[in-house]
Amino acid sequence: MPLGAGSHSPAGIGKTLQERGLLLLMVLVFLEGSVLPLGASSSPDISHQEHLDKHKVADKGHNFTKKPFPVLSLDYPHIQVPFEISLWVLLASLMKLGFHLIPRLSSIVPESCLLIVVGLLVGGLIKLAGEDLPPVLDSRLFFLCLLPPIILDAGYFLPIRPFMENLGTILMFAVVGTLWNAFFIGGLLYAVCQIQPNNPSSLHTIELLPCLLFASIISAVDPVAVLAVFEEIHINELLHILVFGESLLNDAVTVVLYHLFEEYAGVGTVTVMDAVLGVISFLVVALGGVLVGAIYGILAAFTSRFTSHTRVIEPLFVFVYSYMAYLSAEMFHLSGIMALIACGAVMRPYVEANISHKSHTTIKYFLKMWSSVSETLIFIFLGVATVDGPHSWNWTFVTVTVILCLVARVIGVVGLTFVINKFRIVKLTTKDQFIVAYGGLRGAIAFSLGFLLNKDHFPMREMFLTAIITVIFFTVFVQGMTIKPLVELLAVKKKQEAKRSINEEIHTQFLDHLLTGIEDICGHYGHHHWKDKLNRFNKKYVKKCLIAGERSKEPQLIAFYHKMEMKQAIELVESGGGVKLPSAVPSTVSMQNIQPKKLLIDKPAERSLSQLPKGREEEIRKILRSNLQKTRMRLRSYNRHTLVADPYEDGFGDFLIKKQKMIELERKIKNMNNYLTVPAAPPDSPTMCRARLASGTGTDFKPAQQQKCNKICPDPQAYSTKAASDRVPTIKVDLASPQSPDSVNLMDEFRRGGQQQQEEDQGLTMKPPSGPSGPNKPGEADEPREQQKLMRCLSDPGPSAEEEEDEPFLP
Amino acid sequence: MGSNSSSVNNIPNAQELMQETGFSAAHILRLHERFEFLDKDKRGQLSPQDFGALPELALNPIGDRIIGAFFSPGQETVDFASFVRILAHFRPTETNRTRDGAQQEPVNSKTRKLKFAFQLYDQDRDGKISRAELLQVLRAMLGIQVTEEQLQSIAERAIQEADLDKDDAISFDEFRKSLEKVDIDHKMSIRFLR
Repeated sequence: MPLGAGSHSPAGIGKTLQERGLLLLMVLVFLEGSVLPLGASSSPDISHQEHLDKHKVADKGHNFTKKPFPVLSLDYPHIQVPFEISLWVLLASLMKLGFHLIPRLSSIVPESCLLIVVGLLVGGLIKLAGEDLPPVLDSRLFFLCLLPPIILDAGYFLPIRPFMENLGTILMFAVVGTLWNAFFIGGLLYAVCQIQPNNPSSLHTIELLPCLLFASIISAVDPVAVLAVFEEIHINELLHILVFGESLLNDAVTVVLYHLFEEYAGVGTVTVMDAVLGVISFLVVALGGVLVGAIYGILAAFTSRFTSHTRVIEPLFVFVYSYMAYLSAEMFHLSGIMALIACGAVMRPYVEANISHKSHTTIKYFLKMWSSVSETLIFIFLGVATVDGPHSWNWTFVTVTVILCLVARVIGVVGLTFVINKFRIVKLTTKDQFIVAYGGLRGAIAFSLGFLLNKDHFPMREMFLTAIITVIFFTVFVQGMTIKPLVELLAVKKKQEAKRSINEEIHTQFLDHLLTGIEDICGHYGHHHWKDKLNRFNKKYVKKCLIAGERSKEPQLIAFYHKMEMKQAIELVESGGGVKLPSAVPSTVSMQNIQPKKLLIDKPAERSLSQLPKGREEEIRKILRSNLQKTRMRLRSYNRHTLVADPYEDGFGDFLIKKQKMIELERKIKNMNNYLTVPAAPPDSPTMCRARLASGTGTDFKPAQQQKCNKICPDPQAYSTKAASDRVPTIKVDLASPQSPDSVNLMDEFRRGGQQQQEEDQGLTMKPPSGPSGPNKPGEADEPREQQKLMRCLSDPGPSAEEEEDEPFLP
Repeated sequence: MGSNSSSVNNIPNAQELMQETGFSAAHILRLHERFEFLDKDKRGQLSPQDFGALPELALNPIGDRIIGAFFSPGQETVDFASFVRILAHFRPTETNRTRDGAQQEPVNSKTRKLKFAFQLYDQDRDGKISRAELLQVLRAMLGIQVTEEQLQSIAERAIQEADLDKDDAISFDEFRKSLEKVDIDHKMSIRFLR
C-alpha cells in the first residue's frame, strides 16, 4: 500500500530534507489520488441512501420513527464540486513544489512535460479505480477559467517597446505564417488521405474541409506551451518576443479559420465570396478584439484615478475589467486573447501611476499566482484528458500530421524571414530562424478546439483528437526537452540581466529625440515620428484624464528615477546597508516634498574635507555596524511576506528600545570625539541611503551635509548632520504623491494615537531630527510620514529588481 | 526611375558622395530634393533659419542642437555634401561586413554614430560631457515641470554611474560603455536611408 510505505522513513533513504519532503509529497499525492475516485464513488451511495430515507418518510406518513440524532454525518455531495476543484488545484501546486525539490530533474525536463506525466498518472489512477474521469478539459472551463489568467499575466507585463518595434515581423509570422501552415498541412493531409486506393481505410471519407479545419486547429502556436518552455531557457528578448507575440496574435487567425471551416464543413464547399467574407471577418475579429480591450483598459485606467481612498480594492478593478474585456470579446466571437492583451497593455502605464505600491505588488503577485496555477492545471488536465479521451489511432494520419507540422513550420519561417529581412534594420540570422521554427509549440488550445468539434458533423473527431494530442506531446516533449541544449549548443544570445541605468534611460530618450529630429529633416514620416506624435498626444490629453493629481505631469524620466531610487533604498535597507557614509551631493529621492529654497549644492566645499584619522574611523564604523545589526534584526520582521504590515501594532516597544539605544550611541560617540556628532538616526538613515544611492564605492567618511556644516558651524570638521536636518531632503520611498490620502490617513491615525508617540517615533525616522536650527513644522510633520512610508516600503517586496517596464515577462 | 542616373549627375560630386557615404543613387537624389525643398532662397546652401522653418523640429527639445550639428564650428551655412555626410551617420549598419585594416571605417559604423551623438551633448567639444552640459540636456528634455534639485540629482546620479575615472565628466569611452546594452545599430538608424 503506498500509504504504508510513506508513513515511515526507512533508514537508507529519506535522510536529506529534500528527500523527506519528496516522500511527504508523494504521500499526499497518493492520498489525493485515492480520494478522488473515492469521492466519485461515494456520492451515488449517499444519494441512494437519502433516496431511501425519503421513501421511508413518505411511506410512514404520520408515523415518524424516531431516529437517534445524527451527531456526525457524512454529506459529500454537498461539497463535492468545490472540494474536487480544490483538490485539483492543490495537486497542481504540490506538483510544482515537488519538482523543485529535485533540481536535477527540473533542469533536464521542462516542467510542462513533468506535469503532463503527472496528469497521465492521475488519470490512470482514477481510471484504475474504475471511475469516470471528470471532463477536465471541457472547453468552457478551459477557455473561460484556465486560459484568461495566463494571457492577462502575459499581456499586463508585456514589454511594449520590443513588441512594438517588432510588430511587423510578429504580425507576419502570426497571420501569414499560420495561414500558410493551415493550408499547407490541410491540403497535403487531404492528398495523403486520398492516395490509398489499395487500402480502403476510413481515411477516404475525410473531405477537404474537415482536413483544413483540422489543420487550422493544429497550426496555431500555443502561448501557454511557449511560455512554459521559453521561460526556462532565458533566450534573448528579441526571439522571446517574436515567438511569444506570434503565439498571442495568431489567435485571431485561428478563430476565423476555425469558424469558417466549421461553418461550411457540413455544406462541403467554400466559395470565393466566403473567402472574402473570411478576410473581412479576420480584420473585424482582430481589430475588434483590440478595440474592446482598449476600451476596457481605458475604463480601468479612469477608474483607478479615483481609488485613492479605497486602496484595497484597486487590484480588483484591474482583474475584473480585464476579465470582462475577455468575456465581451468572446461574446461577439472576437479574439478574446487580443482583447485581453490590449486591455492589459493599455491600462498598465496609467494604472501604475495611480495605484499604491501595495496594490501594484498585489496585482503582480496575484497574476503570477493565478497564471502559474492555471498553467500547471492545464498541463495536468492535458495528461488526464489523454487517458480519458476516446482515441482512434491511425498510424498514417498521425505520423503524416506530425511530419507535416514540422515541415510546414520550417518552410514557413524560412520563407517569411527571407521576405521580412528586406524590411528589418536588424536582420534575423539563421540561428534566430531556427529557434523561431523550433519554438513553435502546440498546446492545450488546439486540444480544446478539437474537443469542441461536433461529433455529428465530424465523424472522425476521435482521430483528430488523437492526432492533436500526439502533436502536442511531440512538440512539448521532444521539442521542449531538446530546445535548451540546442540553445546552449548554438550559443544563442541569452537574456541580458537588464538593470537599466539612469544613463541608458537618459541617452535612449535623447536618441529618440535625435532620430525624430533627423526624420523631420529628411521629411520622412517614420517610426520615430509617429511614436513622438503619440507620446505628445499622450502627454497632452490622455495622461491628464487618466492619471490622478500631480503624477499626470511627471515626465517619464522622473518616474523612472523615482522607481530606481526607491528600489535602491529598499535594497539598501534589506541588505543591511553599507557602512559607507555619503560622499556627494545629497540626491533627492523625494521629488515632491523637499524644502528647495534652503538646499544648497556647493561642490567645491564638499570636496575639501579633511579625513578623520583612521583609528577613529574604524571605531565609528564598528559602532555603526553593531547598531545596524540591531536595526536589521528589527527590520527583518518586515520581510517579503508581510505584505500588510501594520507598523503601529508591531513597533512601539521597539521604538522605545531603539530610541534608548540611539541616545546611548550618541552619548558614546560624543564622548569619543568632540567634533563628531553622528546623528541619532540609525545607520540606514538618509545619509547612508544617499551614500548607496550616490554609488558610494570606496567613498570615505564624508557626510553629505559637509558644506552646509561649514556654513553654520565654525568648526570645519564638524560632521553634524543634525545641523543640516531641515535642509536634508528626506527619503520618501513612496511612489504615490505625498499628498495622497494614503499617507495622510496614516498620519492622522498617528496623531490620534497621541502626541507622545511622536517622540518615540524619532527612533526610526528617516530624517535626522531637527537640529540646532530649531524644529520646523514641516520637518516634524514629515517624520511620521517618513516613517510610515519607510514601513510601507519595507513591508512590500517592492518592484522586483528583475522586473521593469521594458523587461521580459517572467521573473 | 529611368532618368535616375542623369539627374544624379546633375548633382555635383554625386559619385564621390555615394562612394564616401554608401548611399545609393536613389537616396542621393531623394536627399537632394529634400535639400532643395529646405533651401528656400535657392542659394545652394542651408542656413539655420531654413532648418528652423520645419515646425516639428521647433517642437523638438533638442532641435537646436541637431541643427547646430549640421554646421561645422564657425560655419554659417551647410552645403549639400555636408548635409549628406551628416545624414549618412544614420544609415543602417551592414552586418557581416569584413573590413580590412586599410579601409576606412564607414560613416555609419556604430562608433561613428555614437560619436555623433556624443558631440551633440558635448557642445564645447572638449571631448567630455561635463555636468553642466548634461544639465543643459536634461533641462531641455524635461522641460519646466521639473525643479532644479531634481535635475541636479539626476545629473549627479548619471555622472556617478558612468564616470569611471572619476573626473566628474563623461568621456566618449564612458559614454560608449554606458550604452553597451542598447542596440545602437537599431536605435540610430533610419530605415529610409538604406
